[in-house]
Amino acid sequence: MISQFFVLSQRGDNIVFRDYRGEVQKGSAEIFFRKVKFWKEDGQEEAPPVFNLDGVNYFHVKVVGLFFVATTRVNVSPSLVLELLQRIARVIKDYLGILNEDSLRKNFVLVYELLDEVIDFGYVQTTSTEMLKSYVFNEPIVIDAARLQSLGPASIFMQGGKRMPGTAVTKSVVATEPGGRTREEIFVDIIEKISITFSSSGYILTSEIDGTIQMKSYLTGNPEIRVALNDDLGIGKDGRPTYDYRSSSGSGAVILDDCNFHESVHLDSFDTDKTLSLVPPDGEFTVMNYRMTQEFTPPFRINTLIEEAGALKAEVIIKVRAEFSSSITANTIMVLMPLPKYTSRASFELEPGAVGQTMDFKEANKRLEWGLKKIVGGSEHTLRAKLTFSQESHGNITKESGPVSMTFTIPMYNASRLQVKYLQIAKKSGTYNPYRWVRYVTQANSYVARI
Amino acid sequence: MSGHDSKYFSTTKKGEIPELKEELNSQYKDKRKDAVKKVIAAMTVGKDVSSLFTDVVNCMQTENLELKKLVYLYLINYAKSQPDLAILAVNTFVKDSQDPNPLIRALAVRTMGCIRVDKITEYLCDPLQRCLKDDDPYVRKTAAICVAKLYDINAELVEDRGFLESLKDLISDNNPMVVANAVAALAEIQENSNSPVFEITSHTLSKLLTALNECTEWGQVFILDALSRYKAADAREAENIVERVTPRLQHANCAVVLSAVKMILQQMELISSTDVVRNLCKKMAPPLVTLLSAEPEIQYVALRNINLIVQRRPTILAHEIKVFFCKYNDPIYVKMEKLEIMIKLASDRNIDQVLLEFKEYATEVDVDFVRKAVRAIGRCAIKLERAAERCISVLLELIKIKVNYVVQEAIIVIKDIFRRYPNTYESIIATLCESLDTLDEPEAKASMIWIIGEYAERIDNADELLESFLESFPEEPAQVQLQLLTATVKLFLKKPTEGPQQMIQVVLNNATVETDNPDLRDRAYIYWRLLSTDPEAAKDVVLAEKPVISDDSNQLDSTLLDELLANIATLSSVYHKPPETFVTRVKTTAQRTEDDDYPEGSETGYSESSSHAADGVASPPTSSSSVPYSGARQPAPAPAPAPAPPAPVPDLLGDLIGLDNNAIVPIDQPVAPSGPPLPVLLPASSGQGLQICAQLTRQDGQIFYSLLFENGSQIPLDGFMIQFNKNTFGLAAAGPLQVPLLQPGASARTLLPMVMFQNMSQGPPSSLLQVAVKNNQQPVSYFNDKIPLQAFFTEDGRMERGSFLETWRSLPDSNEISKDFPDIVVNSMEATLDRLAASNIFFIAKRKHANQDVFYFSAKIPRGVPFLIELTTVIGTPGVKCAIKTPGPEMAPLFFEAIETLLKG
Repeated sequence: MISQFFVLSQRGDNIVFRDYRGEVQKGSAEIFFRKVKFWKEDGQEEAPPVFNLDGVNYFHVKVVGLFFVATTRVNVSPSLVLELLQRIARVIKDYLGILNEDSLRKNFVLVYELLDEVIDFGYVQTTSTEMLKSYVFNEPIVIDAARLQSLGPASIFMQGGKRMPGTAVTKSVVATEPGGRTREEIFVDIIEKISITFSSSGYILTSEIDGTIQMKSYLTGNPEIRVALNDDLGIGKDGRPTYDYRSSSGSGAVILDDCNFHESVHLDSFDTDKTLSLVPPDGEFTVMNYRMTQEFTPPFRINTLIEEAGALKAEVIIKVRAEFSSSITANTIMVLMPLPKYTSRASFELEPGAVGQTMDFKEANKRLEWGLKKIVGGSEHTLRAKLTFSQESHGNITKESGPVSMTFTIPMYNASRLQVKYLQIAKKSGTYNPYRWVRYVTQANSYVARI
Repeated sequence: MSGHDSKYFSTTKKGEIPELKEELNSQYKDKRKDAVKKVIAAMTVGKDVSSLFTDVVNCMQTENLELKKLVYLYLINYAKSQPDLAILAVNTFVKDSQDPNPLIRALAVRTMGCIRVDKITEYLCDPLQRCLKDDDPYVRKTAAICVAKLYDINAELVEDRGFLESLKDLISDNNPMVVANAVAALAEIQENSNSPVFEITSHTLSKLLTALNECTEWGQVFILDALSRYKAADAREAENIVERVTPRLQHANCAVVLSAVKMILQQMELISSTDVVRNLCKKMAPPLVTLLSAEPEIQYVALRNINLIVQRRPTILAHEIKVFFCKYNDPIYVKMEKLEIMIKLASDRNIDQVLLEFKEYATEVDVDFVRKAVRAIGRCAIKLERAAERCISVLLELIKIKVNYVVQEAIIVIKDIFRRYPNTYESIIATLCESLDTLDEPEAKASMIWIIGEYAERIDNADELLESFLESFPEEPAQVQLQLLTATVKLFLKKPTEGPQQMIQVVLNNATVETDNPDLRDRAYIYWRLLSTDPEAAKDVVLAEKPVISDDSNQLDSTLLDELLANIATLSSVYHKPPETFVTRVKTTAQRTEDDDYPEGSETGYSESSSHAADGVASPPTSSSSVPYSGARQPAPAPAPAPAPPAPVPDLLGDLIGLDNNAIVPIDQPVAPSGPPLPVLLPASSGQGLQICAQLTRQDGQIFYSLLFENGSQIPLDGFMIQFNKNTFGLAAAGPLQVPLLQPGASARTLLPMVMFQNMSQGPPSSLLQVAVKNNQQPVSYFNDKIPLQAFFTEDGRMERGSFLETWRSLPDSNEISKDFPDIVVNSMEATLDRLAASNIFFIAKRKHANQDVFYFSAKIPRGVPFLIELTTVIGTPGVKCAIKTPGPEMAPLFFEAIETLLKG
């Protein structure tokens, strides 16, 4: 049970503030903001998501740069509150199409109406956009989406090529399109985040895929949907050794360690034909989360070489090789490498003919940053950096630099090989043929190579 | 409607309020709606629009839900400041609560519950009663929550009007949303009530478990949390419950998963079959790990909970250590928690992997994280004997990188490793000494100095090393000074040569004369005396073998752990603190009507929380390293100020004799004075197992009630309170009754300071003292005690002979009363005089009358009432006659009781 809910801008302005129980002082938003902003004197460190200050418990999550905050004085379930904050953000986004400071301010009446239905006396009533539609009467004022970043992992679909219907994810679930009639369409996104750690010799120390199947339905009449996954999908690691990397990749079944499902999902036939059936509620929601530690081919290999060149100089060579098919292109790649504290200068050298690459040495945190606009599957890119030190390195350069980490987005690629084999929509009539979008994307979560 | 809401924020040129007023009264619906929106906009940015109250309320009567909601929002905000005008809205509310549209009915009740104005509350009861039985589930679920709102405003009203019963009926509702809200409301009311409101019987249990499958995710959490208080009768029932809860582990909502884990963990305690337990552990592991794939905020909560779970059941995640390896992009608060769990899961089997990770972390950028990683290596060394050597070699590698804070942190942990494995790894001291001059943190310096002192005989230049520190002795922080002092003494005892001798002079001088730190000075003096009187003894003391330490730095005290595990999936499990240390919500003043309603602790499970309260206070603070990361950075979560005694003080004897007393006092901290055996006043047989012995005593001029509580019942007792009925002397407690939580079989003694003339009874003086004692678990026990007058004799009762005679004469003969004690023998006059003097009966004179001795004494009781006493007896033969003269002859019977007791000895 929460006492207050509020949304603060990055600068600490109150955008939304709703007090449900009057138990916590009115100035809590300011107290919260000051505490979080100066968690540590240097302002560097992040405040934990839950903390207690003068008897008031503050919960917060950050969504698109906004603080979603709840307060309470009692011993509530923190996971409930944090999950609720995420869901509120999602519901508001469902309604407004785009979640940001501007859209919140323009729609404050609607937001308050939503908040009154979502929470009563501090108790969550519902966070389902579908249910809320029957109780909420304000119409959203949809703001211009073109140049705005939207919420959630699905936003990555906006960056990529033309094949993604870019406006879809920023479309309100309830508002009618300018043309007057809504387009019948449904989006199923398979989003995977890869965490991997390579040892200095390139051997995989740990690897994990956190995947989620997101759905966003704009279908009228809520028809039943069947989603079929790989026939050979297995769940649970029973019967095979933990972290078995010996089994050859590319063959065999997709084995998930664990997965969980949205409550609307029926699993009656899941065991036999790996099919999920559901009546999707309106709005964006997670059909399924899964986790996999089974061996997979990492999309990138990173090779780092450090060569000392005298007492005050060294050369760093970073090679990145894309291990996926040449029909696929990764984009917005960034390679980061911390350098020794006493590095004073770095000069860079790229391979001949390189385009769309940026290199930088960040003086403040002594970090090398190498950005690449895109990498085509099968290609390899190299960066050479000449470092100058302000003091002798005592042969510790390798220990004091690294690890190399990487962020990237690869559309239409997923490392786990989990697939949506088909997406079946219960037919209303012969001519009913809504748009179906099944999209894959893989991102780096913690992609690290030690040196 | 067109345009953007934000236009409502723009201010108009001239007088905004009059303009709004005009618009609110417009004849056009749309214009009125727009105006209300503008009002709300002004309200949210903090402008005072309360003057528009009447105009806004006039817009309330509309069929337009959008507009109605806006008006209601306004009402909730301003009703409190305009209670008289709020009454204007009542009619519409009551009408709306009977509207054909269920949304309007629900809205009316929901809003009325939020307006904390008495006049509105009065009118809420009838609509609420109707809505609780409404046909529409949306109305019923709103009404269910509204009962909790009403309870918060006026608990008595809820109890009197039978809302609790209606609410309980809703548990069996066919709509799961209604059930969930009823459960939430009941749980909240129970939380704030002292009588059992919401008992979970096996019947409710099965009903709720069934509802669980139908509920929304949030309802599932309400229900699981409410059910987690249920104590299964036996292993079979526990297994049954677990079986029905286990499917919740597959839920995508983390809160559902964690609440299910809590429920399963609790029932597992009852399950004896190791197979079943093992199987459950296996089922819980993957969902727990999956929580770590959620948002970092959820991960943090999950990690704090997992930290507790693995302390109780390490096997659950024994094979999953890899998932706790830190990711490069984890927020720092997640990384810190992962480190803690890695240490807990580290074993001989996985230590190489773990060390490799720690070594990597120790070269990362974040200083706090690096330090913690280095400490983690040390803690693994202490925990795993067979891996100690590998840990040390990693530490040495890190020292060689010469990053200042890494070196210092390493030295601190190496000191602990030396304590854990004495005489094993001293070969590395030389390496440590190389970094001596880079140390600038007190703890690292102190650790290094300790190492030098402890191993002075193996370090050739120990004296030089120590000497280098001595120069700056006066400027060093206290912990370094203390270590320097001890290390120098050790050096001197091990190498009593000239150098160390001079050093010790300097140090002792510095530490005694030139310091104002009492700890340092005292320690220095002890060394000084030891060294000057018996150097051999000094050796035995200072160089004695030290007890080996173990790695308990991360283990919580087991009772605290129990309590925290019972609070899995609550804030308590994130802070690692019992709820009562941070829950500050003031209890609503729920009036208890009958004292006998106190539940038996073991039966309902609700009083558990209060008994845990005392338990938690008494339990020792957690060790420093188990303080949550958040706590380490800041004093929060601040311990709540000691809760004030509950506002409406229950009057134990009030019903009995219509007495209004304020001297009832809650327990505070335990004290346990000892003393002579006390008479049993409340035998265990009539105190439901609780035995109370008590006596009034006088100590240092003050009256105390000396009490001994012995808990012979099967349940822990706490929250003791005491009250005294009106009595002749108006005796009442002067302070709180300090009795700690009494475990079954335990006893506690306490001295309760008393005051007089607080609640005097009328009528003839009586020695009767009626006492009532209660605790959180048992009903009130009453017992009678006798007031011994000797406890009242004051220290200033001595009279000069002259004034004695004068007083004697001045009092009329009717004030003289005498009594014979034919059985009493006075054998030794000295002993008797001493005994009487000890009780403030002062000897004045003695004379012989025939073969009898006549003694004169004086005594005084408070308010200056003197007693002039004449004792006549033959030493050694039975028979004493006592005659007294006093301005208060009505006290004579009490006096004779007292003198009899004293003469008998």
